[in-house]
Amino acid sequence: MALNFDKPLYSLSTPVENKADQATWEGESLGGITEDNNRLPIPVVWLLLLTVLTAFAITFPLWGQRPNAGLYVDYVKAMNTPEIMAIQDDKAAMAKIIDITKGEISKHVTRMDYEGLLARHPLSMDDLRIIKPQIEALMSAGKDPEEYNVVGDLVVLANFEGNLKADGKIENRERKQPWWDKGYTIDIFYVIMFFIGVTIVIKCLPPSTWQPKHHH
Amino acid sequence: MLKYLFAKNEDIPAGSAAVFWGFSAIVWFVIGTGLGSFNAAKLAFPDFVTGNEFFAFGHMRQVHVHAVIFGWISMAFGMAMMYITPALGNTKLWSEKLGLWNALMWNIGLSLGLVLLWAGVSSGREYSDFPWPIDLYIVVFMAVPLCINVWMTVINRRTQGIYTTNWFFASAVFMVSIVFLTGNLPEFFHLTGLTEAYLTWWFAHNVLGLWITPVAAAIAYYTIPKVTGNPLYSHRIGHLHFWSVVVFYSTPAAHHLMSAPLPEWLKSFASVEGVLILVPAIAFVSNILLTMSGKWYMFVENLEVRFTITGVLMAIPLNMQGGFQQTRAINWYIHGTGWIVAHAHLALLGFSTFLEAAAVYLGLQMILKRKLYSLTLGNMHFWMLLIGFTTYWVSMTIAGLIQGAGKIYEVPYIDVVIAEHPYMIARWLGGTMVFVGNVLWLYNMWMTARQGTVVPEGRMPHELAYER
Repeated sequence: MALNFDKPLYSLSTPVENKADQATWEGESLGGITEDNNRLPIPVVWLLLLTVLTAFAITFPLWGQRPNAGLYVDYVKAMNTPEIMAIQDDKAAMAKIIDITKGEISKHVTRMDYEGLLARHPLSMDDLRIIKPQIEALMSAGKDPEEYNVVGDLVVLANFEGNLKADGKIENRERKQPWWDKGYTIDIFYVIMFFIGVTIVIKCLPPSTWQPKHHH
Repeated sequence: MLKYLFAKNEDIPAGSAAVFWGFSAIVWFVIGTGLGSFNAAKLAFPDFVTGNEFFAFGHMRQVHVHAVIFGWISMAFGMAMMYITPALGNTKLWSEKLGLWNALMWNIGLSLGLVLLWAGVSSGREYSDFPWPIDLYIVVFMAVPLCINVWMTVINRRTQGIYTTNWFFASAVFMVSIVFLTGNLPEFFHLTGLTEAYLTWWFAHNVLGLWITPVAAAIAYYTIPKVTGNPLYSHRIGHLHFWSVVVFYSTPAAHHLMSAPLPEWLKSFASVEGVLILVPAIAFVSNILLTMSGKWYMFVENLEVRFTITGVLMAIPLNMQGGFQQTRAINWYIHGTGWIVAHAHLALLGFSTFLEAAAVYLGLQMILKRKLYSLTLGNMHFWMLLIGFTTYWVSMTIAGLIQGAGKIYEVPYIDVVIAEHPYMIARWLGGTMVFVGNVLWLYNMWMTARQGTVVPEGRMPHELAYER
């Protein structure tokens, strides 16, 4: 069956094909069941559009991600300052660390929403004491702390494996998870292909302005 | 029924196979929910039946799960296919004899598999717990014969068009064989590690997405127009539903493994697809509810419509949960908790069970040409199922949120166990109510076959008044 593009938004079938389909539609009983030819109600179309947008908006890796060690580099550095060391109370010390590092972290952390990430992954002084030597070891080894995740009491290499780095070594992949990755790119292609495909299928039917007359 | 196994196909009364499948399904439902009630009692009362390994929770849990999925749900599907597929094609079932043998082999295979699981012979892979020889048996003696019978009936139809229900039936019986063969590759070829984990959840997701969900929805596409007499609201929306199930439901398996070291792009892809399962859900729910136009009084008065619409309405919270609970932001909180158990029961005991129960109620009355023996028992069954399920679902959802909080805030495990104890008791009460309701149902359908008022040719059972 060839597609007819004279009125693509009306019907992709020819008038002759539509006539034949309409005759079959009205004349045939499917076990006593009949079908109408209504279009999708407009509010439901909007609901579907909202669903597609929500599907992308809510699944960004930004949400629910483990914190990377780069977020806490300035916290660790601040711990060594006399100002912090002089504070006996852990809660007061932590509050002071957050205060004096505000505005500094963005210089070290490349991701956009570092404040949001810090707010979602708050630490206590005890947590900091546990990860401090691990982060310092990374820094002294020349590693990029943003490529490491804080998982419980461990600082470990992030399990994200992105593109190859400039040196091209297969074992040396990008470990910083972007807020947008190729899974989304595939999804955009997939969703577009789906809606094109299903639109073609539906537009091959007689137009929704026609409704069958049921005789039983 | 068994006397027809060796009869000539043309000598077997139409609908015999459907009756065999239908009663088998109800019996498995009684067994499956009885096992569920027993298992729930063990969680609510830890000293209940101890000292025998065969009654340990670890032996019993998967027997319950598989009895319900492959006994109740799948045999109810088989029943629906045996009578709906030919009815929609204005023809007979291609082979009643194959249908009867298929039901027999299904019961034998399932019994064998459940005995093995009970004995502790298990693959250890959730939802595909059956050892691989049983998986192969399921494909060869259970799924493929069903597929052949459905496809041949569709091919030999006396209509030019194929109604929406039969698109779903024909594609689902084909896809379930593929799901079994592919999802169990780790067992056939001893694949381990991430490959095994991914294929385990590919199987589990697609048994739900390409078997249970589409077939249950297909049943609603038949039941509502058939009983209400209304035309299906939209053939066009049926297309959107069908193709979005195929495209969006088959792909999100990785969202079951959001914390596993799978490639992140795969998880991102699966997570978006996971939300997009709302597309078929919206299409399905809107199409069925709009078909009810002018006939909403039947939601109150007619048992089959009430079961079906209740199931359809449950598709809304089911897909809202399913769509969003797999996202990274929510999954970290509820993963591995009772929330998931509640969600799984919303899918199987809520949404799909209500749709299948309607198909079995309607089908047995139409084939046996007998009106339901007792509407009172039917109503009791409905309400015990609904109240029992809701009690279960709400209590397990709350227990899951408690467990999630305990997990995130590192509350000692025993404190979490104590906090969720009341909800375990509520779960047992709800599950037991479902079980008792099903015993009533079995009695009601048995009595319908023996003493139900005869329905004249060409009439629907609900068109007749009760004589008693």
